[in-house]
Amino acid sequence: MTATMFAAAPLAQLAQLAQLAQLAQLAPLAQFAQFAQFAVNPQSGYALPPRWGWYIVLYFFLGGLAAGSYATATLLDLVGDPRDRDAVDLGYLIAFPLVVACGLLLVVDLGVPLRFWHMLVQSENVPELLFKWWSPISVGTWVVAAFGFFAFVSFVGALVERGTIRWAPLVRLDRWARARPRPVTALWGVLGAFFGFFLGGYTGVLVTGTSVPVWHNSQLMGALFLISAASTSYALLMILLMRRRGRSPHDGTVEKLARADRWAILMEIVVLAVMVALLGRLARPIVAGGFGVVFWLGVVLVGLLVPLALHGRRVGRMSEERRATLGAACVLAGGLLLRFVVVMAPQWPGVRPWSL
Amino acid sequence: MAKGFFTDTTVCIGCKACQVACHEWNELPAPNNGATELTGNSYDNTGHLNALDWRHVRFIEQLPVSREMNGFLQGSRWLMMSDVCKHCVRAGCLEVCPTGAIIRTEFDSVYIQQDVCNGCRACISACPFGVVDVGEDGKAHKCTLCYDRLQHGLEPACAKACPTDSIRFGDVDDLMVLAERRAAALQAQGTDAYVYGKEEIVGGLNAFFLLVDKPEVYGLPSKPELPSRNVSEGFAGSAAAAAALALTGVVSFRKNRMDQAAEREETRDGSAPAGGAPAAGGPSA
Repeated sequence: MTATMFAAAPLAQLAQLAQLAQLAQLAPLAQFAQFAQFAVNPQSGYALPPRWGWYIVLYFFLGGLAAGSYATATLLDLVGDPRDRDAVDLGYLIAFPLVVACGLLLVVDLGVPLRFWHMLVQSENVPELLFKWWSPISVGTWVVAAFGFFAFVSFVGALVERGTIRWAPLVRLDRWARARPRPVTALWGVLGAFFGFFLGGYTGVLVTGTSVPVWHNSQLMGALFLISAASTSYALLMILLMRRRGRSPHDGTVEKLARADRWAILMEIVVLAVMVALLGRLARPIVAGGFGVVFWLGVVLVGLLVPLALHGRRVGRMSEERRATLGAACVLAGGLLLRFVVVMAPQWPGVRPWSL
Repeated sequence: MAKGFFTDTTVCIGCKACQVACHEWNELPAPNNGATELTGNSYDNTGHLNALDWRHVRFIEQLPVSREMNGFLQGSRWLMMSDVCKHCVRAGCLEVCPTGAIIRTEFDSVYIQQDVCNGCRACISACPFGVVDVGEDGKAHKCTLCYDRLQHGLEPACAKACPTDSIRFGDVDDLMVLAERRAAALQAQGTDAYVYGKEEIVGGLNAFFLLVDKPEVYGLPSKPELPSRNVSEGFAGSAAAAAALALTGVVSFRKNRMDQAAEREETRDGSAPAGGAPAAGGPSA
């Protein structure tokens, strides 16, 4: 993807448009089209697209799942029922592998992947650490690292609890840790969940911290991503409980998750509606055109409205398992498509829908 | 002492010596293996600032709707401008760079250290002027204000090559005085000339311009904002969402819900409350 490949195609079309406009004596349009190469493209205004593609879309999606499953597990652990243990277990089991996947995606996305550590350590001043609290990306790098640590420890703890890890020193360590007073063990989960919330939301704030008009003017993007992270995590845990632990859709834990998910979906609808309304004309790349179809059908209909109708309600002659699984699957699909549209649409045509 | 450019677009003749000099000095290759690319947009051959073109000459043909109006070619203008990195006093790219690759040099220019940059491309999205671009080597590139030449007392290549002195290099304060004087002279002649790049434009541009039309005509934003402007609001919104999620989560996950669900299960099926085992009385798939 060279700069010229990026520049040539749309410019050639714009140039032709400019020629035609001039011939047709549409001087104002001709002027506008000519010099406004990228400004005439409502998607990018004057900022260039950063060419964030599927690696980043998947990172946003999986990061949200990692954060949400950890936070859900912690919440269930703190206020839930002994019967929720399975969900707590699952949450802590999947969070760490998801974070690892996130890290890999971020590294592979870099222009010079082997230099990923430059975001953590000053490369000209090793071993001084690098942290710019005013840059969402710098903050996010450390959040991923911190959350990864919490997720790892809880992951190992979950494996010990299940008996998968039987190495005596670790088992002893696990027993000791769990025997600490309740406030201490609770604090661990809360801290991890705090970093999880950060992970789930900062990616939206990062997107706001750019000059691409659609992103720059979406102050609610962080909130939207965070709510979507929670929603997709509830859905994922529901599916895992039903498919991998044999729970029924009427099982208490599954219903709790469905209930929480309905709240999250409602909040997501409100935040999304407000965000799009406040953007006004700037929202066109997302709500109109090809990406608009994906947005309205995939994100709104399949991702939000259908699950809202399916969660916790009986539907005609559909079996309960199918209904519950379908609802959760729609939430997951909608979450992925939301990030796809938000990341890719404003970068068109510099970034194609299949760009990595 | 801040060094920078004063680009007087009113004396630019569109010769593109600046583009050539920049390529020559920085050993930037011709794109597309040197095959000629025509944009079809007047005499513009670079299209936009990018990883290989750190100077880009714009050509803006302004023609009236009807050429017979006021006489042949009356009311028409051909504006030319050599676009470049603005080396902003408050630079968006510098703000967001997570590796610290982008620094402010002793000349107050904004410079991307090529051995630090890891290609995250945050700076590309951050620049409100669309200056920075990612190259084929995966790293970010833009005008360096010829940092290597400055360190040896030379002026940047483009300023040296410009035949009309449209591009002038020097201390920003001195250049601003010259620019204001030039703008006043042009205004006295009836042209709406003004300086673009004073403090109101992201704190000031060390590479500023003399323009005769609205900034948008030249492809420049009239009210650029720093990318970080909405970040604190973004974090505040996220915090509020986090609180709402924690609240709804607690309400949904509380123990008593479990008991209510169990009671419903018992009255419906007459069996034990749902738990680890699949419900016996549920409809089959």
